[in-house]
Amino acid sequence: MESILDAIFPIGPQFFVGVIVAVIVIHLVLATVGILVYFERKISAYIQDRIGPNRVGFDLGLPLLQKLFRGFGFWGLGQSLADGLKFILKEDYRPPQTDKILFSLAPMLSVIPALIGWAVIPWGGVIAIDPIVIGGREFVSGGDAVVGAAAVDIGFIFLLAVAALSVYGMTLGGWASNNKYSFLGGLRASAGMISYEIPMGLCILVVVLTAGTVGPNAIVEAQVAGSGVWFIVAHPLAALLFYACTLAEGNRAPFDNAECEQELVGGWHTEYSSMRFALFFLAEYAHLITGSAFFVLLFLGGYHLPFVPGLQPEDTGLLAALLKFTVFFGKVIFMIVLAMFIRWTIPRLRYDQMMKLCWNAMIPLSIALLVAVATVKFLRIDSVVVFILVNLVLTGAGMVLFPKLPVANVNKRIPLAGSRFSPIPGHAVQTAPSGSIARSESPVPEHSSGIISAH
Amino acid sequence: MTSTLGLELINYGPVLLLLLMAVTFALANVVASLVIGPSRPGSVKGTSYESGMVPIGTARKRFNVRFYIIAMTFLVFDVEVIFLYPWAVTYSNINPDSAYHSVFWGRILFFMLTTVVAYVYGYRKGVFRFD
Repeated sequence: MESILDAIFPIGPQFFVGVIVAVIVIHLVLATVGILVYFERKISAYIQDRIGPNRVGFDLGLPLLQKLFRGFGFWGLGQSLADGLKFILKEDYRPPQTDKILFSLAPMLSVIPALIGWAVIPWGGVIAIDPIVIGGREFVSGGDAVVGAAAVDIGFIFLLAVAALSVYGMTLGGWASNNKYSFLGGLRASAGMISYEIPMGLCILVVVLTAGTVGPNAIVEAQVAGSGVWFIVAHPLAALLFYACTLAEGNRAPFDNAECEQELVGGWHTEYSSMRFALFFLAEYAHLITGSAFFVLLFLGGYHLPFVPGLQPEDTGLLAALLKFTVFFGKVIFMIVLAMFIRWTIPRLRYDQMMKLCWNAMIPLSIALLVAVATVKFLRIDSVVVFILVNLVLTGAGMVLFPKLPVANVNKRIPLAGSRFSPIPGHAVQTAPSGSIARSESPVPEHSSGIISAH
Repeated sequence: MTSTLGLELINYGPVLLLLLMAVTFALANVVASLVIGPSRPGSVKGTSYESGMVPIGTARKRFNVRFYIIAMTFLVFDVEVIFLYPWAVTYSNINPDSAYHSVFWGRILFFMLTTVVAYVYGYRKGVFRFD
């Protein structure tokens, strides 16, 4: 017994803090999702000049509690709780033509990555842990630890890996439903998500190049020390692209093509009901929290506020850690509310516009930005002013150049009217694409090749 | 004695715990609603919902090849992005006076050049047309 205890204890301070943060934050995220649903409904209501939920309190229909609260509605705060309970009590129906295993697996595959994505976020900077000694045995050794679930140096690669995993949930959900709307929604969701992962990774690379590290906590410290500005100031273009990518990754408007109600009913979760639907719903909001947290981490200085004592990297007390945690979460809530404003003000992009924005604009821009930042570093003129200039110049160049991009016109098409499928009486039937290479290189005279007369 | 299990690998411990909690949460919720909720199947209820139409055929059909092309192009670019992470960390920590600094800069230019060639080829082929 003694030897087993000796083998386990003392555990390192990082492991100790990591377990505590993991347990607290997963509950915090789940609770925040409930509040966010309420927020979303209230904000949309105010934007659309309605009132929104304002009746459901916490009396749960019990006479005793009703008497206690005297009909006080708590401004509708109980709405999310009521919704959650309703999800469990409703029928979880699976249509018989669906794939039995994948239909249940898909919502789980969707929610699990969403709930572990934020593991590498350093919520409260570094905390100094005193050794915990109980009864003469040292259970936790002293030392510095990052207030995050996992203090790993490859934090952003973890983010990219986990973000990519959630595509499976959507694709499988759409495929397993055996419904054309769901299938199209799943395809669109997966295509959109994987496309927007590329500019996201490149924008993180720009920050990594500027900070010189991939450690999440080190990136916050790089925004405080050294040049001393948040990276949203130094790299406004990268911040803008990254924010658009987080919206697209979380399937938020204006990029929520996968579930656009007018075309695809509910997208990949059309056939889902009850708790399995709720898991998809929860995953979406958890993605929003994770995406906003990473935006705060990369571009808004993490837990840091300028000129505020107690929020600097040198402060490692418990109180400072709690304060930093609060500031970090406050910034995350700010970003989420911004995303909600965007959802209820900007109309949804069409699917081809969304994909074009990614492949024709965002990916070339982020590649150009990466090369430009590398060149600035090579020329040893890397200062904040130069970074801002590079970003602004590239933004301007993009706005001027992208409308002038030539349209690739390789896949020639046969117009339907006048083809052999839809012949126009008295007209020649066209069987080859107009302007094709075969026709232009053909020795046959121009007017007769590829054209056969209608019978 | 501090635990030295694989240097920093012990730091992934909380991630496993988190994974366990997330899996438990997902499983428990699905099972709970299956157990608690009612179950009243019906023949009309069982048909796929396609805006009230009676579904024609299944959804297990061929779909647009464009999605395959996007997936393949994504693979090319995403693998490149992952390759760039070690480069970015090394490049920004390298001594600017050493000869390796310009070598690393030249490497990124060449690597990006290959990307641009691939991109231009794809663009000319109409890979990035979605209309």
